[in-house]
Amino acid sequence: MLIMAIAFSISAMAQEIEGDAANGKTLYNTNCASCHKLDKKMIGPALGNVTERRSAEWLVKWIINNQELRESGDEDALAIFEEYNGSVMPAFPGLSEQDVMDILAYTIEGSKPKEAEGDKTAGAPVAVAEDEGDNTMLLIILAGILLFLVILLARVKNTLKQIKGEPTSTLTEDANILTRTALKNPKILTVLTIVIAVVFLQQLYAGLMSVNVDQGYQPEQPIKFSHKLHAGENQINCSYCHYGARKSKHSNIPSAGVCMNCHMQIQEGPKYGTEEIAKIYEAVGWDPEAYAYIEDYEEKPVKWVRIHKLPDLAYFNHAQHVTAGGLQCQTCHGPIQEMEEVYQYSSLTMGWCINCHRETEVQVESNAYYKEMHEKLKEKYGEDAEITVEMIGGLECGKCHY
Amino acid sequence: MAENKKYWRGIAELENPELTEKLGANEFADDLPTSEFLGDKEKLESSSTTRRDFLKYMGFSTAAATIAACESPVYESLPYVVAPEEVIPGIANYYATTYFDGYDFSSVLIKTREGRPIKVENNKLAKYNGGANTRVHASVLNLYDATRLQKPLAAGKETTWAELDDAVIKGMAAADAAGKQVVLLTSTVMSPTTLKLVNQLAEKYANFKHVAADALSYSEKLDAIEAATGKRALPTYDFTKASVIVSFGADFLGDWTGQRVSGDYAKRRVPGKDMSRHIQFESNLSLTGSNADKRYKVTQAQMGNELVALHNAIASAKGKRTLPAASSKYAKEMDSIAQELIKAGKNALVVNGANNADYEHVAIAINQMLGNDGTTLSYSERAYFRSGNDRKAEALVADMKAGKVGALMVHNLNPVYSLPKSWAFADALKKVETTVAISQKNDETASLCKYVAAENNPLESWGDYQPVDGYYTLQQPVIQKLFNTRQLEECLMSWTKESGSYQSFLKNNWGSSILGSKLWSEALHDGVFTSNAQPADGAVLGAATNESDTTATANSGTTGSVNLDASANRIKNAKAPKFELNFYAKVGMGAGILANNPWLQEFPDPLTRISWDNYLTISKADAVELGLNNTTESNGAINGMYVTLTANGQKLEKVPALIQPGQAKGTVGLAVGYGRQGAGKVADGVGVNAFTIMNGAHSAPVEIEVMTDAEEHGFASVQLAHTMMGRNIVKETDLQTFLTKPAQSESGDGWNQKPVFETYSGPMDADNANLWDDFDHETGHMWNMSIDLNLCDGCGACVIACHSENNVPVVGKEEVRKHRDMHWLRIDRYYSSETTEETASEEGQSAIDMYADMEEPSENPEVFFQPVMCQHCNHAPCETVCPVAATTHSQEGLNHMTYNRCIGTRYCANNCPYKVRRFNWFLYHDNPGRFGDNYSMNDDLGRMVLNPDVTVRSRGVMEKCSMCIQRIQLGKLEAKKNGVALKDGQVKTACQSACDSNAIVFGDVNNKESQVFKLKEDKRMYHLLEEVGTQPSVFYQVKVRNKRA
Repeated sequence: MLIMAIAFSISAMAQEIEGDAANGKTLYNTNCASCHKLDKKMIGPALGNVTERRSAEWLVKWIINNQELRESGDEDALAIFEEYNGSVMPAFPGLSEQDVMDILAYTIEGSKPKEAEGDKTAGAPVAVAEDEGDNTMLLIILAGILLFLVILLARVKNTLKQIKGEPTSTLTEDANILTRTALKNPKILTVLTIVIAVVFLQQLYAGLMSVNVDQGYQPEQPIKFSHKLHAGENQINCSYCHYGARKSKHSNIPSAGVCMNCHMQIQEGPKYGTEEIAKIYEAVGWDPEAYAYIEDYEEKPVKWVRIHKLPDLAYFNHAQHVTAGGLQCQTCHGPIQEMEEVYQYSSLTMGWCINCHRETEVQVESNAYYKEMHEKLKEKYGEDAEITVEMIGGLECGKCHY
Repeated sequence: MAENKKYWRGIAELENPELTEKLGANEFADDLPTSEFLGDKEKLESSSTTRRDFLKYMGFSTAAATIAACESPVYESLPYVVAPEEVIPGIANYYATTYFDGYDFSSVLIKTREGRPIKVENNKLAKYNGGANTRVHASVLNLYDATRLQKPLAAGKETTWAELDDAVIKGMAAADAAGKQVVLLTSTVMSPTTLKLVNQLAEKYANFKHVAADALSYSEKLDAIEAATGKRALPTYDFTKASVIVSFGADFLGDWTGQRVSGDYAKRRVPGKDMSRHIQFESNLSLTGSNADKRYKVTQAQMGNELVALHNAIASAKGKRTLPAASSKYAKEMDSIAQELIKAGKNALVVNGANNADYEHVAIAINQMLGNDGTTLSYSERAYFRSGNDRKAEALVADMKAGKVGALMVHNLNPVYSLPKSWAFADALKKVETTVAISQKNDETASLCKYVAAENNPLESWGDYQPVDGYYTLQQPVIQKLFNTRQLEECLMSWTKESGSYQSFLKNNWGSSILGSKLWSEALHDGVFTSNAQPADGAVLGAATNESDTTATANSGTTGSVNLDASANRIKNAKAPKFELNFYAKVGMGAGILANNPWLQEFPDPLTRISWDNYLTISKADAVELGLNNTTESNGAINGMYVTLTANGQKLEKVPALIQPGQAKGTVGLAVGYGRQGAGKVADGVGVNAFTIMNGAHSAPVEIEVMTDAEEHGFASVQLAHTMMGRNIVKETDLQTFLTKPAQSESGDGWNQKPVFETYSGPMDADNANLWDDFDHETGHMWNMSIDLNLCDGCGACVIACHSENNVPVVGKEEVRKHRDMHWLRIDRYYSSETTEETASEEGQSAIDMYADMEEPSENPEVFFQPVMCQHCNHAPCETVCPVAATTHSQEGLNHMTYNRCIGTRYCANNCPYKVRRFNWFLYHDNPGRFGDNYSMNDDLGRMVLNPDVTVRSRGVMEKCSMCIQRIQLGKLEAKKNGVALKDGQVKTACQSACDSNAIVFGDVNNKESQVFKLKEDKRMYHLLEEVGTQPSVFYQVKVRNKRA
């Protein structure tokens, strides 16, 4: 009964708010969302069912101009101001009273539990990290047992031979005889050849892998980061996160600190909810509840899996291509803005590099560095010849190998 | 009955017994259609699957299945969690700091990549010692030495800092309470803030003493300066103002009193009317002597007589009182030298190298007569690079023996290794209750101390220095501490219970007493700071080690005022020993502090060209007399015989002897800094410890006994030829000819004549007489390098800079003996020979005799240094013989070497006229079993020093100088990124930026404003082996000596 009563009273209070929750949602997202969440404390308090705590009238006053309310000496207003260490909430003189009502309606609507979703989260199995364990020890023990058996059998055989009065042989002699006979046997030889060939091929494969001849390589990353969402839908510039690409030889993998620039506010993603974003918090030691960094936290770097890996014998410089050459990232990395998971788009072989250097035109006109060189090149190749990277020495070995 | 019984296997058998019987006889119901298939030849041949194919497919599918099961390797990339603002991966940061290890002092820039220091560069803002020497350039590797102490030790076992602090404080308090001394024994201390902390310690303990001593002491010299000028501190020298320099055994370019003067010296070595004249008197052939215009061989004992002779020559010319003198060996020359000095007046400079008060007094008197105070040397601006006091150190050892010392702390000094053996420091140490070594290594001294405070590397430390009056430098850490170590100052702060970090202590001290109006961040950025304010708290240098000790002056016989006559009389009456031993510090080793550095161990000495050793240098005449010789093995490796030396009452066995041209007869030389124990696996056991027979003075009478029964010693020498054999490898002329005669003349007697070939179309120079097509060198850049043989003093800083920039491997002594050294840049040394083509034709010698004689260097040779790296020929012989086009030419005038293309035929090296190509005979990296000494490539810590922009070459490939192509590419990229033309000087090679003499100039000759273009047009310009017609991109400037007839 008591529960019923409370529920009723809530609905009774809620009924006082007459507003359009749909319009409220839009207004909320544009004006409030950067500091408030419905269910959690952020820069400001959680706003879910705020109408239960404060009267609508007070809220309207506070939202439209909280400073005025504070100056009027309203105790509640001063208390809340103190609670959030005097961080000032901006005034919203642009909002009409009805707008505020709409927002408040949304705070009620938005915090109603979504039944379907609720079931899902409740029933979702907790991911248990599989502990594969290290089985090297097991193998060593097995090998040990086998070796022991071999020795044991050899001794048994010798004892039997001794009893029979036959000459005994040592283990190495046995092994020698075995190898000699085996090598004379064409079948064993064939099998051996095949084994060796397979090992050779496997090594070749591993060799190619190590120089990253691995087009299409698409490993699973520790965080299900979606370039499609960030670069494609949200149109975040590549160099916002990979800022090194413009300046340095490396296009850096962004530090988790860079993620935090946005994800301090955006604590929930559209696809995986909080699960993936929580991994960033885990790395930097951010407590989303307290909205603060955890003190003395041992940071855990995110172990990304490297996809593009040129061998050490080739020198590649991002800045040369991005800043000096004016290339788009997509030229080599493919339609990254459409990739849910990143894969190696280009072959990254030397032929691929060379081909591009043969075809790509150098922006000699727009860069003063090339001014003098361009004059000479015009003499050499004609007034309006297309100056390719090759013509300015882009195919020379020492440009990439040193 | 039983046999009549019949059983059926089924109902079918009962019903149809014939069929069952037939089926029972035939295993297969129908014949396999083999004959149909195999019999029909046509059909068989038309079939696409043969048995072979079948096997192929099967083999392939097995392999494919196996491969499909392979997983590609997974590489993880760990970004920063929160990236430091100043670090962008791939971009180097430079920090200004100061390097001081108790011996070498230098203001440097440290290049760091992703937080790892990888290279030392010169700090051009520094007024003093801004040019790092060879050792300092290599010092970055010592940071990554895994044999450094990683934790504090107590009685040889690891302990914690808290326990160590506790024990040390208790030890000091106990000593103080018992009325015993508490002593801090250090090298020279130049830091005002350190001295402030030392004073704080002194306030705590009534019986506190601070004693400073130097490994290579200048104590007597300092005493003499004190007696003459009132302050126990060295003058500063200004070689840019010195027109005439006369040096008496002072190796100021190699190793002297700590002030680096080579850059200033070089400024006056540019041929022209302003070129300085340099006269050297010395016994060992030193780096300085080999650069002199005129060099006289004198024994150290005779040196004083020559000094007095010069004094008297000047005095009589000026009408002043002369000194009592013995006879001079060079009486005639002395008059003309005196005239030259008098003519130069205040621009003349006389320097004395010996740690001998009497010599110094005469030298001071000569300089006073010349009136050069304030120009070439200054007593108002004093230098503090060396301020150790041997008498105090000796007194300390005596006190220790007498049990008067209760606690001893040793820092930046290795007294067990370097103090005179006669003082028996190691024995005296046993009588001290609390002994503490603040040391990076568990070395000779530390291993005998009860407590060892593991010390930071200088690159991990904060600090400040006042090397010269009013001139300060700052030291800042360029990397987090690698181990659980502390610097001296942190120890002192804990022991005096001073709270806070040393960084803030230093900053506060600077703010209150040094900085004045200058910003701390600005001073830290520059690394150097000039101020007139004196530090407060009495922490004034010079005063710290000088308590106007009157016994000092009494000992050297100059009570109150200087008694020159007494000095002269002592010099006159000194007896010359049969043999005298002159100790010296090698350019690559110094006092042995950085000994555990494979780069320095493998660095060939500029003069002997021997690495991984020290040895007794002896003149040929003496060697013949003693029956010593150097033999050569069939592969060219040099061997030497062992001798036993007895000096100062101590014996040193198994010293290999090397015949050294230019060594004064009756003298032998031996380098200190070798024979280390506990310095690390690279240094331990290399060479012999000369300090054991040294007694403060840098010279001592010695007895030499040849060990005839011992085996021969193997030297690792990188150069076998001593002379140029009449070829024009180093072109040389004298100043008069240079100023008055044409470089090239029709008659062919110019001083820089170009080779001319007689061809069918008339005489042609090497550039035109060729069969090759030319590359286009007009478009874009054309990199050239100029090497001025006049400015190069042979110090080898460039060799080490190249080593660290280009990940050059170290191969070890045995491999160097096989001439497999890997240096991309070598400095060839040539001696002049008595025999020339002219003298031979005068004497009517046969060609064979002539060349045989030419091989022999003179008794007192002129020395030539010539840095040789890949000459980047534009008609390169190596390029044409490479079967796989691994070495190719670039439009920018460089000869590229593509390691991953090289298959190791070594044709290129054989076809190279300059012999600059190096072959990787072995896997020098990741091979700790065989090349573990080279820890820069063979252990995880050491590898941090590698330059990430340069490939580490593997076995079986050729490598060579790339003209620092990584730097060229970077310079071009920076210009492109900023959209501006590449300015001259923006790209500097590693050797160029290491050279503080500016002997190496690199740049684009297509830029007509560039310095290198002007040098290419210079009349001194010539190409090495120009007659070969290789058209190198490297050229040299003719060496000009300021000779007098």
